[in-house]
Amino acid sequence: MNTKLSAMIPLAVALCAAIGCDKKSDTIKIGQAVALTGDNSTWGQSEKNALDMEIAKINAKGGVMGKQIQLISYDTRADATEGVNVTKRLVSDGVCAIIGPGQSGVAIAMTSVTEPANVSFLATSATNPKVTVDDKTGQVRKTAFRTCFIDPFQGTVAAQFAAKNLKLKNAAVIYDVGSDYSSFLGKYFTDEFTKQGGKVVASEAFRSGELDFRAILGKIKGTNPDVLWIPTMQKEAALIMKQAADLGIKAIPMGGDGWASPDLITLGGAAVNGSYFVNITSLEDPDIQGFIKDYKAKYNNDPVMPNPVMAIDALAVIIDAITKTGGTDPAKLTAQIAQTKNLPTLSGNFTIDPSNHNPLNKPAVIQQVKDGKFIYATKFVTQ
Amino acid sequence: MFVQTLLTGLAIGGIYALMAVGYSLVFSILNFSNFAYGSIIMLGSYIAYFSMVKLGLPIGVAILFSILGAAVLCYLNERLAYSPLRKRRASSLFFMISAMGTAIFLENLVYAIVGAHFYAFPAVFTKSNITYHGVSIGVLDVFAIAFSFAAIYALHFFLQKSRTGIAIRAASYDIQVCGLNGVNDKHLIGLVFLLAGGLAGISGTFLGMKYIVYPTMGWITNKAYIAAVIGGLGSLPGAVVGGILLGVTETFVSAYVSSVVRDVFSFSLLVLLLMVMPTGLFGRFLEEKV
Amino acid sequence: MWSYVSGVISLGLIYVIATVGLAVFTGFTGLFSLGHAAFFAIGAYTAAILTYFYGVNFYVALAMGGAAGGIVGLLIGYPTLKAKLRTDYFAIATLGFGEAIRVLLENLNITQGARGLPGIHTDTTLPVLLVVTSLVIWCAWNLIHSRHGRACIAIREDFVAAEMMGVNIFIGRLRSLVFSAFCAGLAGGLFAHYFGFIQPSMFTSYMSTQMTAAVVAGGMGSISGPVIATLIFIGIPEALRVANIWRLVAYGLLLVLIMIFRPQGLMGYRELSADMVKGWYRRIWKGGRA
Repeated sequence: MNTKLSAMIPLAVALCAAIGCDKKSDTIKIGQAVALTGDNSTWGQSEKNALDMEIAKINAKGGVMGKQIQLISYDTRADATEGVNVTKRLVSDGVCAIIGPGQSGVAIAMTSVTEPANVSFLATSATNPKVTVDDKTGQVRKTAFRTCFIDPFQGTVAAQFAAKNLKLKNAAVIYDVGSDYSSFLGKYFTDEFTKQGGKVVASEAFRSGELDFRAILGKIKGTNPDVLWIPTMQKEAALIMKQAADLGIKAIPMGGDGWASPDLITLGGAAVNGSYFVNITSLEDPDIQGFIKDYKAKYNNDPVMPNPVMAIDALAVIIDAITKTGGTDPAKLTAQIAQTKNLPTLSGNFTIDPSNHNPLNKPAVIQQVKDGKFIYATKFVTQ
Repeated sequence: MFVQTLLTGLAIGGIYALMAVGYSLVFSILNFSNFAYGSIIMLGSYIAYFSMVKLGLPIGVAILFSILGAAVLCYLNERLAYSPLRKRRASSLFFMISAMGTAIFLENLVYAIVGAHFYAFPAVFTKSNITYHGVSIGVLDVFAIAFSFAAIYALHFFLQKSRTGIAIRAASYDIQVCGLNGVNDKHLIGLVFLLAGGLAGISGTFLGMKYIVYPTMGWITNKAYIAAVIGGLGSLPGAVVGGILLGVTETFVSAYVSSVVRDVFSFSLLVLLLMVMPTGLFGRFLEEKV
Repeated sequence: MWSYVSGVISLGLIYVIATVGLAVFTGFTGLFSLGHAAFFAIGAYTAAILTYFYGVNFYVALAMGGAAGGIVGLLIGYPTLKAKLRTDYFAIATLGFGEAIRVLLENLNITQGARGLPGIHTDTTLPVLLVVTSLVIWCAWNLIHSRHGRACIAIREDFVAAEMMGVNIFIGRLRSLVFSAFCAGLAGGLFAHYFGFIQPSMFTSYMSTQMTAAVVAGGMGSISGPVIATLIFIGIPEALRVANIWRLVAYGLLLVLIMIFRPQGLMGYRELSADMVKGWYRRIWKGGRA
């Protein structure tokens, strides 16, 4: 007992030292809040891999303004509470800006730390409009930015594609009531589809984590829809499509960027064949083929879209702001990022709309799932 | 829609029934809810999945491996987490905490080691559903129900006709007197856990095939507890009936009211039953009334 | 650096408040709860809605949050405790209750569903937390050392004997439940005003598990034990930056190991006191028994 207790004291001292240790080095510290474990980890891992690869390239060429870039990544587990902890850690680590997160709920939570600290973050795939614009006051948040499109646009694109290109008349919507992404994407699609002259014949909600949709699908079957709008993540979408096939539902399934993971095909099997979904960018996009080749060579796997491309865009925006302000002061960077105009990035020409901190003129890609692969169907551009 | 809902309900009810029987088996002997049962079901599912995908075995062998694997794990669970407590005559609260701890440990161990990846069983049947007059049921569901009932009947036969089966039934009335009459209660308890584990393996496999395989799938056993109460605690036929009834009523609530309140309905049903009719339909156990 | 450390301490204190309540419920009264995160959520939403939509004073809102938790505790406790549910089914009922609250929060208009409530005033600062935590611990200590507390301990140890001696089991358990629900609600309100943003998905069973693990590890029968255990559970992973998944694996294993090897947990039935610290000092530096 004595030796154990006396051994614990130096350990405690070491722990305190580890916590208090704050190395001041001559690098540019960029933070990353990313979901490395949990349901969204396929995207998060790809995002981190892409950033590591890109930063290694930049550092090999001499870094930015003579300084090396250091990426500090922490796992948010796609959990809002953990996201806040992670952000606090990053701010205390002295990062000049943060790349990520990929989830809107986490992003909104993080603003409670980034706004007072005046450290900006660029969300990679957080598509909820309320991330950058405060719901209550209608004011744009000064430290919140994103590099992807927003859900109202996504829902509009999908509805227009279903109504005009596929000429479908009746839609049934199944959404996750526990997910803000899913509930709102369902609503945006419904609004636009009705505006285009279509009819939403059924709108059914399920709880997060649900596995058995047969009861609500049975109900939907009775309303005879042509299209099934499934604005959920890939796991639920795959199960819904599989069970819809089990019940003999013939509607064409459609979804949003939450589908864009290879899991959709492994989990859904034959049932996902012929479905469509909206994505921020796709593997077949001619602009990013060079990046995909490099990624594949280094990591032996295709990158899981769209997060890696969004992250690299974010990195480019940050580096641009650093060179324009001549330093890494987070407050100055925050002001500069809002002024980003016509910056050539991986996914195209990047301009931030100062009124809502969203990128202007971001295209959306419609992909189709065919024979176990995602293929490129068509492209829409923001108005 | 009525017939379709009924069929869907029966399909899930079959799985609830199987889980409820396994749970009831342990409950009737030891009078405690094995909260770790769900994680054994989950492990059974993973075993079957990896047998099929990594070892390339056919479905029949995979199910067999899953039964054996889950049985052994359930037995080990009992040996390591519960029997030390039983030797000390610990209170039921301690058993529950130990069971809860085991469940959390196993679930997160799988999360940490295998990863949060979702796995789907490769398609076993070429046709995905059978449709008759606009009403469909998955081929897998039909197979699952048939197999589950075969397993339950086999268990029933074992309990009725074999000597060990009679010993188990005797123990469910009073395990101490059983011991006085020469039954080795340690072996008996071990055997019961083996049997429950076997059933868990089957349920896990079918659950995994019906949906997907992932670490937190074990929480569905909450429904098994409710099913056991509906049928009556301590009664195995009751567990089967309870499982099917729960599956069907839940599905009707999902379809006709809202899928969102389905679980609230099930738990409210549980509390209501425990307040109004604690013996359930066929049960023998009563509350700890003072 | 200090802002980060104070953040960790603040979070720890918020959980300490909730855990102290749970310590009275599980530790001293012997009832297992799987859904305490629900009371936490109720307190969080009540306090947040009051300050966010109605501009109510922060401290009043906190008190209302706690009161809301307590009232719901009363509503839930009345039927379930009156029915004298056995410990495991009581736990399952609390689980169901947790689910019901989640469904409610996701579907009511005032809670803005899955979107949650962003932009709550972050009024919870370290001084506020220190004051509230001390108050709560003081209240709990007084409760335990009153005749109510002794009644709770009697109920935990042997409720049959307690009833024989004239202790009203129902009222005693209900009182513990309401107190623990109040503490959890208070902690929830503080939590909402600390993060500035709440969503139904933040109140998971992981939170309930952590609180229960802290009570068990700290010692059922002590207030200071769970307090220390909570601070350790929050602090160590932050300091070591351990991956969260392994944290849960450790909790599960810890629960089982404690049940088997050291059921009295860290502090057992004792509280942290000056004598205890003196005893350690003597043992470490003087190398002998205290």
